[in-house]
Amino acid sequence: MGALDIIAAYPRAFFNGLIVTIQLALTVWSTGLLFGFLLGALAAGRPGSYGRIVSLFSFLLSGLPLLVLLFWLHFPLQSMLNVVIDPFITAAFALSIVNVFAIADIVKGALSDFPTQYVVAARVAGLTPRETLLHIKTPILFRQLIPVLLMLQVTMLQATLFASLISVEEIFRVAQRINAQVYKPVEIYTALGIFFLLVCLPINGIALWLKVRFTRNFSES
Amino acid sequence: MLKCKDIVLAYRGKRVLNNVSVEVEPGRVTAIIGPSGAGKSSLLRCLAFIDSPASGAVTMDGDEYLASESTTFPLRTPWPEVTAVFQQFFLWPHLTLRKNISLPLELRKVKDIEIRITRLIDQFSMSDFVNRFPNEVSGGQRQRAALARALALEPKYLLMDEITSALDAVQAAAIVNHMTVLKDAGIGILMITHHLGFLRRAADSIVYMQDGEIVEAGGKEILDIPATPELKTFLSAFNSLENSNTPRQGEPR
Repeated sequence: MGALDIIAAYPRAFFNGLIVTIQLALTVWSTGLLFGFLLGALAAGRPGSYGRIVSLFSFLLSGLPLLVLLFWLHFPLQSMLNVVIDPFITAAFALSIVNVFAIADIVKGALSDFPTQYVVAARVAGLTPRETLLHIKTPILFRQLIPVLLMLQVTMLQATLFASLISVEEIFRVAQRINAQVYKPVEIYTALGIFFLLVCLPINGIALWLKVRFTRNFSES
Repeated sequence: MLKCKDIVLAYRGKRVLNNVSVEVEPGRVTAIIGPSGAGKSSLLRCLAFIDSPASGAVTMDGDEYLASESTTFPLRTPWPEVTAVFQQFFLWPHLTLRKNISLPLELRKVKDIEIRITRLIDQFSMSDFVNRFPNEVSGGQRQRAALARALALEPKYLLMDEITSALDAVQAAAIVNHMTVLKDAGIGILMITHHLGFLRRAADSIVYMQDGEIVEAGGKEILDIPATPELKTFLSAFNSLENSNTPRQGEPR
Protein backbone atom coordinates (compact mmCIF):
# COMPACT_ATOMS: atom_id res chain seq x y z
CA MET A 1 0.00 0.00 0.00
CA GLY A 2 1.63 3.20 -1.19
CA ALA A 3 1.12 6.78 -0.04
CA LEU A 4 -1.51 7.47 -2.68
CA ASP A 5 -3.36 4.26 -1.83
CA ILE A 6 -3.60 5.33 1.79
CA ILE A 7 -4.92 8.77 0.81
CA ALA A 8 -7.42 7.05 -1.50
CA ALA A 9 -8.49 4.75 1.33
CA TYR A 10 -9.16 7.59 3.76
CA PRO A 11 -10.20 10.51 1.52
CA ARG A 12 -12.75 12.02 3.91
CA ALA A 13 -10.38 11.93 6.89
CA PHE A 14 -7.55 13.56 4.93
CA PHE A 15 -9.92 16.09 3.42
CA ASN A 16 -11.30 17.05 6.84
CA GLY A 17 -7.79 17.33 8.25
CA LEU A 18 -6.77 19.50 5.32
CA ILE A 19 -9.78 21.78 5.86
CA VAL A 20 -8.90 22.22 9.55
CA THR A 21 -5.26 22.98 8.65
CA ILE A 22 -6.36 25.54 6.08
CA GLN A 23 -8.85 27.10 8.50
CA LEU A 24 -6.18 27.33 11.17
CA ALA A 25 -3.61 28.80 8.78
CA LEU A 26 -6.08 31.32 7.39
CA THR A 27 -7.07 32.40 10.91
CA VAL A 28 -3.44 32.79 11.95
CA TRP A 29 -2.47 34.60 8.74
CA SER A 30 -5.40 37.04 8.74
CA THR A 31 -5.24 37.95 12.42
CA GLY A 32 -1.46 38.18 12.25
CA LEU A 33 -1.45 40.44 9.22
CA LEU A 34 -4.29 42.65 10.44
CA PHE A 35 -3.24 43.14 14.04
CA GLY A 36 0.46 42.82 13.30
CA PHE A 37 0.32 45.70 10.82
CA LEU A 38 -1.77 47.83 13.19
CA LEU A 39 0.46 47.13 16.16
CA GLY A 40 3.61 47.64 14.08
CA ALA A 41 2.36 50.99 12.76
CA LEU A 42 1.39 52.03 16.28
CA ALA A 43 4.78 50.98 17.62
CA ALA A 44 6.61 52.91 14.90
CA GLY A 45 4.49 55.99 15.57
CA ARG A 46 5.02 55.81 19.33
CA PRO A 47 8.41 54.17 19.73
CA GLY A 48 8.65 55.15 23.39
CA SER A 49 5.48 53.47 24.63
CA TYR A 50 3.95 50.99 22.16
CA GLY A 51 7.29 50.43 20.47
CA ARG A 52 8.88 49.17 23.66
CA ILE A 53 5.93 46.92 24.45
CA VAL A 54 6.06 45.34 20.99
CA SER A 55 9.81 44.85 21.21
CA LEU A 56 9.50 43.29 24.68
CA PHE A 57 6.74 40.86 23.67
CA SER A 58 8.51 39.93 20.42
CA PHE A 59 11.67 39.28 22.39
CA LEU A 60 9.87 37.14 24.99
CA LEU A 61 7.90 35.17 22.40
CA SER A 62 11.00 34.53 20.31
CA GLY A 63 12.51 32.79 23.33
CA LEU A 64 9.41 30.75 24.17
CA PRO A 65 8.93 27.43 22.35
CA LEU A 66 5.56 27.34 20.61
CA LEU A 67 4.89 23.90 22.02
CA VAL A 68 5.27 25.17 25.59
CA LEU A 69 2.95 28.10 24.87
CA LEU A 70 0.33 25.77 23.36
CA PHE A 71 0.47 23.33 26.26
CA TRP A 72 0.42 26.10 28.82
CA LEU A 73 -2.62 27.76 27.26
CA HIS A 74 -4.40 24.42 26.82
CA PHE A 75 -3.78 22.74 30.16
CA PRO A 76 -2.58 24.85 33.15
CA LEU A 77 -4.28 28.10 32.15
CA GLN A 78 -7.66 26.51 31.47
CA SER A 79 -7.34 24.52 34.67
CA MET A 80 -6.50 27.66 36.64
CA LEU A 81 -9.41 29.57 35.11
CA ASN A 82 -11.65 26.53 35.37
CA VAL A 83 -12.78 26.81 31.75
CA VAL A 84 -12.74 24.47 28.78
CA ILE A 85 -11.89 26.05 25.45
CA ASP A 86 -12.06 24.37 22.06
CA PRO A 87 -8.49 23.26 21.17
CA PHE A 88 -8.86 24.85 17.74
CA ILE A 89 -9.45 28.25 19.37
CA THR A 90 -6.53 27.73 21.75
CA ALA A 91 -4.22 26.78 18.89
CA ALA A 92 -5.43 29.66 16.70
CA PHE A 93 -4.91 32.08 19.60
CA ALA A 94 -1.40 30.85 20.43
CA LEU A 95 -0.23 30.84 16.83
CA SER A 96 -1.87 34.20 16.15
CA ILE A 97 -0.16 35.80 19.13
CA VAL A 98 3.22 34.64 17.85
CA ASN A 99 2.38 35.79 14.32
CA VAL A 100 0.99 39.17 15.42
CA PHE A 101 4.10 40.13 17.39
CA ALA A 102 6.49 38.79 14.76
CA ILE A 103 4.73 40.83 12.05
CA ALA A 104 4.46 43.88 14.32
CA ASP A 105 8.20 43.75 14.93
CA ILE A 106 8.96 43.49 11.20
CA VAL A 107 6.53 46.32 10.31
CA LYS A 108 7.82 48.52 13.13
CA GLY A 109 11.40 48.04 11.93
CA ALA A 110 10.53 48.79 8.31
CA LEU A 111 8.58 51.93 9.22
CA SER A 112 11.13 53.21 11.73
CA ASP A 113 14.05 52.65 9.38
CA PHE A 114 12.30 54.02 6.31
CA PRO A 115 14.82 56.22 4.49
CA THR A 116 13.51 59.76 5.04
CA GLN A 117 15.46 61.10 2.07
CA TYR A 118 12.88 59.62 -0.29
CA VAL A 119 10.15 61.57 1.51
CA VAL A 120 12.26 64.74 1.38
CA ALA A 121 12.75 64.23 -2.36
CA ALA A 122 8.99 63.83 -2.75
CA ARG A 123 8.33 67.03 -0.77
CA VAL A 124 10.63 69.19 -2.83
CA ALA A 125 9.17 67.68 -5.99
CA GLY A 126 5.78 69.01 -4.91
CA LEU A 127 4.14 65.72 -3.91
CA THR A 128 1.46 66.01 -1.24
CA PRO A 129 1.73 63.83 1.90
CA ARG A 130 -1.02 61.59 0.48
CA GLU A 131 0.76 61.23 -2.86
CA THR A 132 4.01 60.52 -1.05
CA LEU A 133 2.33 57.78 0.98
CA LEU A 134 0.68 56.27 -2.08
CA HIS A 135 3.44 56.51 -4.66
CA ILE A 136 6.65 56.49 -2.65
CA LYS A 137 6.35 55.10 0.89
CA THR A 138 3.87 52.28 0.30
CA PRO A 139 5.58 50.76 -2.76
CA ILE A 140 9.00 50.89 -1.11
CA LEU A 141 7.67 49.39 2.12
CA PHE A 142 5.76 46.76 0.13
CA ARG A 143 8.95 45.69 -1.60
CA GLN A 144 10.77 45.50 1.73
CA LEU A 145 8.05 43.67 3.64
CA ILE A 146 6.39 41.20 1.29
CA PRO A 147 9.24 38.68 0.93
CA VAL A 148 9.89 38.61 4.68
CA LEU A 149 6.20 38.32 5.51
CA LEU A 150 5.62 35.54 2.99
CA MET A 151 8.45 33.49 4.47
CA LEU A 152 7.09 34.08 7.97
CA GLN A 153 3.63 32.92 6.89
CA VAL A 154 5.11 29.70 5.48
CA THR A 155 6.72 29.11 8.86
CA MET A 156 3.36 29.73 10.54
CA LEU A 157 1.69 27.23 8.21
CA GLN A 158 4.27 24.64 9.18
CA ALA A 159 3.74 25.53 12.84
CA THR A 160 0.06 24.51 12.59
CA LEU A 161 1.34 20.92 12.95
CA PHE A 162 1.92 21.60 16.63
CA ALA A 163 -1.83 22.01 17.08
CA SER A 164 -2.12 18.22 16.78
CA LEU A 165 -0.47 17.96 20.20
CA ILE A 166 -3.47 19.58 21.87
CA SER A 167 -5.92 17.40 19.89
CA VAL A 168 -6.79 19.71 17.02
CA GLU A 169 -7.94 17.47 14.18
CA GLU A 170 -5.69 19.00 11.57
CA ILE A 171 -3.92 17.05 8.85
CA PHE A 172 -0.96 15.87 10.93
CA ARG A 173 -3.22 14.48 13.64
CA VAL A 174 -5.33 12.76 10.99
CA ALA A 175 -2.16 11.21 9.59
CA GLN A 176 -1.16 10.05 13.08
CA ARG A 177 -4.54 8.44 13.66
CA ILE A 178 -4.52 6.63 10.31
CA ASN A 179 -0.98 5.48 10.98
CA ALA A 180 -2.14 4.04 14.30
CA GLN A 181 -4.60 1.88 12.34
CA VAL A 182 -2.53 0.78 9.31
CA TYR A 183 1.00 1.34 10.62
CA LYS A 184 2.55 2.66 7.40
CA PRO A 185 4.60 5.55 8.82
CA VAL A 186 6.93 5.93 5.84
CA GLU A 187 4.12 6.18 3.29
CA ILE A 188 1.86 8.36 5.44
CA TYR A 189 4.48 10.88 6.50
CA THR A 190 5.94 10.94 2.98
CA ALA A 191 2.49 11.87 1.67
CA LEU A 192 2.26 14.56 4.35
CA GLY A 193 5.70 15.84 3.46
CA ILE A 194 4.77 16.04 -0.21
CA PHE A 195 1.61 17.92 0.68
CA PHE A 196 3.55 20.55 2.66
CA LEU A 197 6.21 20.80 -0.03
CA LEU A 198 3.53 21.42 -2.65
CA VAL A 199 1.98 24.20 -0.58
CA CYS A 200 5.08 25.79 0.97
CA LEU A 201 7.60 25.65 -1.85
CA PRO A 202 5.66 27.85 -4.27
CA ILE A 203 5.10 30.48 -1.55
CA ASN A 204 8.77 30.34 -0.57
CA GLY A 205 9.69 30.55 -4.23
CA ILE A 206 7.56 33.66 -4.71
CA ALA A 207 9.09 35.21 -1.59
CA LEU A 208 12.58 34.48 -2.85
CA TRP A 209 11.80 35.85 -6.30
CA LEU A 210 10.33 39.04 -4.82
CA LYS A 211 13.31 39.40 -2.52
CA VAL A 212 15.82 39.07 -5.33
CA ARG A 213 13.88 41.34 -7.65
CA PHE A 214 12.91 44.10 -5.26
CA THR A 215 16.00 44.15 -3.07
CA ARG A 216 17.99 44.76 -6.22
CA ASN A 217 15.83 47.68 -7.17
CA PHE A 218 15.71 49.06 -3.66
CA SER A 219 19.43 49.57 -3.31
CA GLU A 220 20.81 52.78 -4.78
CA SER A 221 24.41 51.85 -4.35
CA MET B 1 13.42 86.50 -4.71
CA LEU B 2 14.15 83.65 -2.31
CA LYS B 3 15.89 84.84 0.82
CA CYS B 4 16.50 83.96 4.40
CA LYS B 5 17.14 86.43 7.18
CA ASP B 6 18.81 85.86 10.52
CA ILE B 7 18.35 82.10 10.38
CA VAL B 8 19.28 80.23 13.53
CA LEU B 9 19.27 76.44 13.46
CA ALA B 10 20.39 74.05 16.16
CA TYR B 11 20.74 70.26 16.28
CA ARG B 12 20.85 68.65 19.70
CA GLY B 13 21.66 71.92 21.39
CA LYS B 14 24.50 72.81 19.01
CA ARG B 15 24.03 75.82 16.75
CA VAL B 16 24.74 74.90 13.16
CA LEU B 17 23.48 78.17 11.68
CA ASN B 18 23.95 81.44 13.50
CA ASN B 19 22.05 84.47 12.17
CA VAL B 20 22.64 83.60 8.54
CA SER B 21 21.12 85.74 5.78
CA VAL B 22 21.32 84.84 2.09
CA GLU B 23 19.51 85.95 -1.06
CA VAL B 24 18.84 83.97 -4.21
CA GLU B 25 17.89 86.26 -7.05
CA PRO B 26 16.03 85.14 -10.18
CA GLY B 27 18.42 84.67 -13.08
CA ARG B 28 21.52 84.59 -10.90
CA VAL B 29 23.72 81.87 -9.44
CA THR B 30 24.64 82.18 -5.78
CA ALA B 31 27.36 79.77 -4.70
CA ILE B 32 28.10 78.71 -1.15
CA ILE B 33 31.53 77.45 -0.28
CA GLY B 34 33.18 76.46 2.96
CA PRO B 35 34.74 73.57 4.82
CA SER B 36 32.80 70.48 5.89
CA GLY B 37 30.55 71.18 8.86
CA ALA B 38 30.23 74.88 7.99
CA GLY B 39 26.43 74.60 7.80
CA LYS B 40 26.10 74.84 4.01
CA SER B 41 23.72 71.90 3.60
CA SER B 42 21.72 72.98 6.66
CA LEU B 43 21.25 76.41 5.11
CA LEU B 44 20.13 74.81 1.84
CA ARG B 45 17.59 72.68 3.71
CA CYS B 46 16.17 75.78 5.42
CA LEU B 47 15.92 77.63 2.11
CA ALA B 48 14.20 74.59 0.59
CA PHE B 49 11.69 74.62 3.47
CA ILE B 50 12.75 71.12 4.50
CA ASP B 51 14.02 72.08 7.95
CA SER B 52 12.34 74.68 10.08
CA PRO B 53 14.85 76.97 11.78
CA ALA B 54 14.53 77.99 15.42
CA SER B 55 14.33 81.65 14.48
CA GLY B 56 14.57 83.89 11.46
CA ALA B 57 12.49 84.10 8.33
CA VAL B 58 12.53 82.60 4.86
CA THR B 59 10.82 84.67 2.18
CA MET B 60 9.85 83.57 -1.30
CA ASP B 61 8.52 86.19 -3.71
CA GLY B 62 7.11 88.29 -0.88
CA ASP B 63 5.55 85.40 1.06
CA GLU B 64 7.24 85.32 4.41
CA TYR B 65 7.58 82.10 6.34
CA LEU B 66 8.35 83.15 9.87
CA ALA B 67 10.10 80.46 11.79
CA SER B 68 10.05 79.71 15.43
CA GLU B 69 9.88 76.55 17.47
CA SER B 70 6.10 76.96 17.82
CA THR B 71 5.43 77.81 14.18
CA THR B 72 4.93 75.23 11.51
CA PHE B 73 5.30 76.41 7.97
CA PRO B 74 4.42 76.85 5.21
CA LEU B 75 0.85 78.05 4.76
CA ARG B 76 1.21 77.99 0.96
CA THR B 77 3.17 75.02 -0.29
CA PRO B 78 6.43 76.40 -1.74
CA TRP B 79 7.30 73.25 -3.70
CA PRO B 80 8.07 72.72 -6.49
CA GLU B 81 8.47 76.48 -7.16
CA VAL B 82 11.53 76.00 -5.03
CA THR B 83 13.13 72.60 -5.36
CA ALA B 84 16.42 70.96 -4.52
CA VAL B 85 18.92 68.47 -5.86
CA PHE B 86 20.91 66.68 -3.21
CA GLN B 87 24.38 65.27 -3.13
CA GLN B 88 23.02 61.78 -2.43
CA PHE B 89 20.55 62.02 -5.36
CA PHE B 90 17.54 60.69 -3.39
CA LEU B 91 16.13 59.00 -6.48
CA TRP B 92 13.18 56.76 -5.71
CA PRO B 93 14.62 53.26 -5.97
CA HIS B 94 11.44 51.46 -7.06
CA LEU B 95 11.01 53.64 -10.16
CA THR B 96 13.03 53.85 -13.34
CA LEU B 97 14.91 57.09 -13.95
CA ARG B 98 12.27 58.08 -16.51
CA LYS B 99 9.50 57.49 -14.00
CA ASN B 100 11.49 59.38 -11.34
CA ILE B 101 11.41 62.38 -13.64
CA SER B 102 7.84 62.03 -14.84
CA LEU B 103 5.97 61.06 -11.63
CA PRO B 104 5.78 64.56 -10.07
CA LEU B 105 4.59 65.92 -13.42
CA GLU B 106 1.98 63.19 -13.84
CA LEU B 107 0.61 63.85 -10.36
CA ARG B 108 0.34 67.56 -11.13
CA LYS B 109 -1.35 66.68 -14.44
CA VAL B 110 1.14 68.64 -16.49
CA LYS B 111 0.18 68.53 -20.17
CA ASP B 112 3.48 68.45 -22.05
CA ILE B 113 5.21 65.77 -19.98
CA GLU B 114 6.70 63.82 -22.88
CA ILE B 115 8.05 66.96 -24.54
CA ARG B 116 9.70 68.13 -21.32
CA ILE B 117 11.19 64.74 -20.56
CA THR B 118 12.45 64.13 -24.07
CA ARG B 119 14.12 67.54 -24.05
CA LEU B 120 15.86 66.81 -20.76
CA ILE B 121 16.89 63.32 -21.85
CA ASP B 122 18.53 64.85 -24.91
CA GLN B 123 20.16 67.68 -22.94
CA PHE B 124 21.70 65.31 -20.42
CA SER B 125 22.38 62.46 -22.89
CA MET B 126 20.32 60.00 -20.89
CA SER B 127 18.60 58.04 -23.65
CA ASP B 128 20.81 54.96 -23.15
CA PHE B 129 19.96 54.49 -19.48
CA VAL B 130 16.78 56.43 -18.69
CA ASN B 131 14.67 53.27 -18.53
CA ARG B 132 16.90 51.65 -15.94
CA PHE B 133 16.48 51.66 -12.16
CA PRO B 134 18.71 53.90 -10.02
CA ASN B 135 20.79 50.97 -8.77
CA GLU B 136 21.54 49.92 -12.33
CA VAL B 137 23.35 53.10 -13.38
CA SER B 138 26.53 54.94 -12.35
CA GLY B 139 26.77 57.78 -9.84
CA GLY B 140 27.15 60.35 -12.59
CA GLN B 141 24.10 59.00 -14.42
CA ARG B 142 22.07 59.09 -11.22
CA GLN B 143 23.14 62.67 -10.61
CA ARG B 144 22.06 63.70 -14.09
CA ALA B 145 18.70 62.03 -13.54
CA ALA B 146 18.28 63.82 -10.19
CA LEU B 147 19.03 67.15 -11.85
CA ALA B 148 16.65 66.35 -14.71
CA ARG B 149 13.90 65.47 -12.20
CA ALA B 150 14.29 68.89 -10.60
CA LEU B 151 14.47 70.77 -13.88
CA ALA B 152 11.41 69.00 -15.28
CA LEU B 153 9.43 70.76 -12.56
CA GLU B 154 10.44 74.10 -14.09
CA PRO B 155 11.12 75.64 -10.69
CA LYS B 156 11.65 79.34 -10.03
CA TYR B 157 14.43 78.56 -7.59
CA LEU B 158 16.77 75.62 -7.79
CA LEU B 159 18.96 74.67 -4.85
CA MET B 160 21.81 72.25 -5.50
CA ASP B 161 24.04 70.52 -3.00
CA GLU B 162 27.35 69.37 -4.47
CA ILE B 163 25.78 68.24 -7.71
CA THR B 164 29.06 67.96 -9.58
CA SER B 165 30.70 65.66 -7.05
CA ALA B 166 29.91 62.46 -8.97
CA LEU B 167 30.35 63.88 -12.44
CA ASP B 168 33.37 63.61 -14.65
CA ALA B 169 34.92 66.74 -16.17
CA VAL B 170 32.95 66.53 -19.41
CA GLN B 171 29.64 66.10 -17.60
CA ALA B 172 30.48 68.91 -15.17
CA ALA B 173 31.22 71.19 -18.12
CA ALA B 174 27.84 70.28 -19.59
CA ILE B 175 26.18 71.24 -16.31
CA VAL B 176 27.99 74.58 -16.31
CA ASN B 177 26.69 75.25 -19.79
CA HIS B 178 23.21 74.27 -18.69
CA MET B 179 23.45 76.75 -15.79
CA THR B 180 23.70 79.55 -18.31
CA VAL B 181 20.50 78.38 -19.97
CA LEU B 182 18.75 78.22 -16.59
CA LYS B 183 20.00 81.68 -15.65
CA ASP B 184 18.74 83.07 -18.93
CA ALA B 185 15.38 81.45 -18.22
CA GLY B 186 15.22 83.51 -15.02
CA ILE B 187 15.73 80.64 -12.58
CA GLY B 188 17.39 81.63 -9.33
CA ILE B 189 20.10 79.13 -8.43
CA LEU B 190 21.84 78.42 -5.18
CA MET B 191 24.59 75.88 -5.28
CA ILE B 192 26.98 74.37 -2.84
CA THR B 193 30.18 73.30 -4.51
CA HIS B 194 33.84 72.61 -3.95
CA HIS B 195 34.58 72.91 -7.65
CA LEU B 196 36.49 76.19 -8.09
CA GLY B 197 36.42 75.94 -11.87
CA PHE B 198 32.67 75.55 -11.69
CA LEU B 199 32.45 78.63 -9.44
CA ARG B 200 34.51 80.81 -11.72
CA ARG B 201 32.43 79.85 -14.74
CA ALA B 202 28.92 79.83 -13.32
CA ALA B 203 28.62 81.86 -10.10
CA ASP B 204 27.44 85.47 -9.91
CA SER B 205 27.92 85.79 -6.18
CA ILE B 206 29.83 83.72 -3.68
CA VAL B 207 29.21 83.21 0.02
CA TYR B 208 31.89 81.72 2.23
CA MET B 209 30.64 79.97 5.38
CA GLN B 210 32.48 78.65 8.37
CA ASP B 211 31.20 77.36 11.72
CA GLY B 212 27.59 78.19 10.88
CA GLU B 213 28.26 81.81 9.99
CA ILE B 214 28.84 83.80 6.83
CA VAL B 215 32.42 84.96 6.97
CA GLU B 216 32.68 86.63 3.59
CA ALA B 217 30.43 87.30 0.62
CA GLY B 218 30.92 89.02 -2.71
CA GLY B 219 31.42 88.51 -6.41
CA LYS B 220 33.86 86.11 -8.10
CA GLU B 221 36.70 88.49 -7.23
CA ILE B 222 36.77 87.18 -3.65
CA LEU B 223 38.23 83.95 -5.03
CA ASP B 224 41.30 85.93 -6.18
CA ILE B 225 41.40 88.66 -3.54
CA PRO B 226 39.85 87.27 -0.35
CA ALA B 227 39.29 89.88 2.35
CA THR B 228 39.26 87.56 5.34
CA PRO B 229 42.05 85.31 6.59
CA GLU B 230 39.54 82.44 6.88
CA LEU B 231 38.71 82.47 3.16
CA LYS B 232 42.36 83.01 2.31
CA THR B 233 43.33 79.89 4.28
CA PHE B 234 40.46 77.90 2.76
CA LEU B 235 41.38 78.88 -0.78
CA SER B 236 45.08 78.26 -0.36
CA ALA B 237 44.36 74.80 1.03
CA PHE B 238 42.00 74.20 -1.84
CA ASN B 239 44.37 75.48 -4.49
CA SER B 240 47.25 73.39 -3.21
CA LEU B 241 44.98 70.35 -3.30
CA GLU B 242 43.85 71.13 -6.86
CA ASN B 243 47.41 71.80 -8.00
CA SER B 244 48.55 68.46 -6.62
CA ASN B 245 46.06 66.74 -8.92
CA THR B 246 46.84 66.23 -12.55
CA PRO B 247 44.65 68.57 -14.60
CA ARG B 248 41.91 66.69 -16.37
CA GLN B 249 41.04 67.33 -19.97
CA GLY B 250 37.90 69.37 -20.44
CA GLU B 251 37.69 70.46 -16.81
CA PRO B 252 35.75 73.69 -16.52
CA ARG B 253 38.03 76.46 -15.27
